[in-house]
Amino acid sequence: MQHVCALADVPVGEGLRIDSVSPPIAVFRTEDDEVLAIDDTCTHQDASLADGWLEDCWVECPLHASRFDLRTGAVDAPPAKLPVRAHAVEVRDGEVWVALSDAVPHLPPGVTYEAS
Amino acid sequence: MTTTEEPVTGSSLIPTLPGSAYVDPAVFDAECERIFEDMWFCAARESDLPKPGSFRTVQVGRESILISRSRRGEVRAFYNVCRHRGARICTEDAGERARSFQCPYHAWTYDFDGKLIAAPNLTKMPDIDRVEYGLRRVHVRTWLGYVWVSLADAPPSFEATVQQEVVDRLGTLDNIAGYDVANLSVGRRIVYDVAANWKLIVENFMECYHCATIHPELTEVLPEFADGLAAQYFVNHGAEFGEDVSGFTIDGSEGFGVIPGLEEDRDRKYYAITVKPQVFVNLVPDHVIFHRMYPMAADRTVVECDWLYLPDVVESGRDVTASVELFHRVNQQDFEACERTQPAMSSKLYAAGGVLVPSEHHISEFHEWVTHKLTPTGG
Ligand code: FES
Ligand code: FES
Ligand SMILES: [Fe+2]
Repeated sequence: MQHVCALADVPVGEGLRIDSVSPPIAVFRTEDDEVLAIDDTCTHQDASLADGWLEDCWVECPLHASRFDLRTGAVDAPPAKLPVRAHAVEVRDGEVWVALSDAVPHLPPGVTYEAS
Repeated sequence: MTTTEEPVTGSSLIPTLPGSAYVDPAVFDAECERIFEDMWFCAARESDLPKPGSFRTVQVGRESILISRSRRGEVRAFYNVCRHRGARICTEDAGERARSFQCPYHAWTYDFDGKLIAAPNLTKMPDIDRVEYGLRRVHVRTWLGYVWVSLADAPPSFEATVQQEVVDRLGTLDNIAGYDVANLSVGRRIVYDVAANWKLIVENFMECYHCATIHPELTEVLPEFADGLAAQYFVNHGAEFGEDVSGFTIDGSEGFGVIPGLEEDRDRKYYAITVKPQVFVNLVPDHVIFHRMYPMAADRTVVECDWLYLPDVVESGRDVTASVELFHRVNQQDFEACERTQPAMSSKLYAAGGVLVPSEHHISEFHEWVTHKLTPTGG
């Protein structure tokens, strides 16, 4: 697992983009204070899901409103068609640790990142 | 300017503005710049924005302004202009957004405080400041339950302009406080699209020389209007209801209960106030009629008029038709008169303008005010 941020960096009900991993991921803290992580970049176009609308256990893309399940990365409806990856998260002593998925990320057309 | 049509000095007549002031697009442009975009402008009723993301778009001078409510419930107003390449953010007159304001062109997305929260490839442009490139805000005040905006960099004092007009008319702000205008409910709203210059509408509202001729119903309820003087000229003067009139209704029938907190001597009186440049208020014992003008062009003005009642009158579904009908008819009569006048503003005969009779002389103060505003050194 790798350390990505402090829990205090992520307000309840919001997401935080983590640029220190590549491709970047987003850490979300739900209203129930559950911490979950998925790829930050929407699979439709280059939008940051951390800026999206968090509700229950899914996030709505801020640009065209496809929704991603924070537990599985599954997408509900177009325009995004492919899922993002979900990453395992652990919170220890107020710090957030992530085990990155080793699946191949579905990045939108034209977006590339070097694997970290 | 030709002088042949001008009244002789010392006669009962004094001149109006020249006809061109009512038709020349350059004059209208100057009025937008120096009056509507520079003063406080009454833009919407607060209750038009019931929750975060509710919005209205209104034209203020030459600008489209988006008025909304933030997540924390504060009223906000923005230029309705995308900071990317200028597309209109909202094209509807009113509506509601659940999450954000999103530009329909390239999807720049703004939160209800105007901050840029998302855009395609935004993370690749970390130098874009999301506040700097957020929707540009305009100044907001709320008073009497209305949202007033100012597009000026440094708006004039609200107290010394908007509120002072009410003081000049009623003597003190306390005299309007009794009507509790902010907490009344909108019982009816009628929007009039008037084919006339905004100044014709202001002038019409300021005088009552026409009342006995075009307002038979109103003159029945307020007999002193028949003397043509009833104007808003005397500080704190209210027009008394006729003896056999019970309420401010189309047929003089009984209205609703008097607004609690109103002083006793106001319980059978009508007061009218003009708040320059675009608000008219009528105060009667059981309701308030609140007009806002939205000047759209030299020859077109949209007037939005609210009939405000005590909340329980509206909530209980009582029929407000009898009182609405009275002033609705007055509005139709007035706007018809303005529309009848507008075409002549470009007549050769009217190049130097018309004349004001003594009971209209106070209108020339309005003309001086407009002229002063439009002179480059005018305030
Ligand atoms: S960018 Fe996410 S749905 Fe279009
Ligand atoms: S003009 Fe608004 S996003 Fe491009
Ligand atoms: Fe009138």
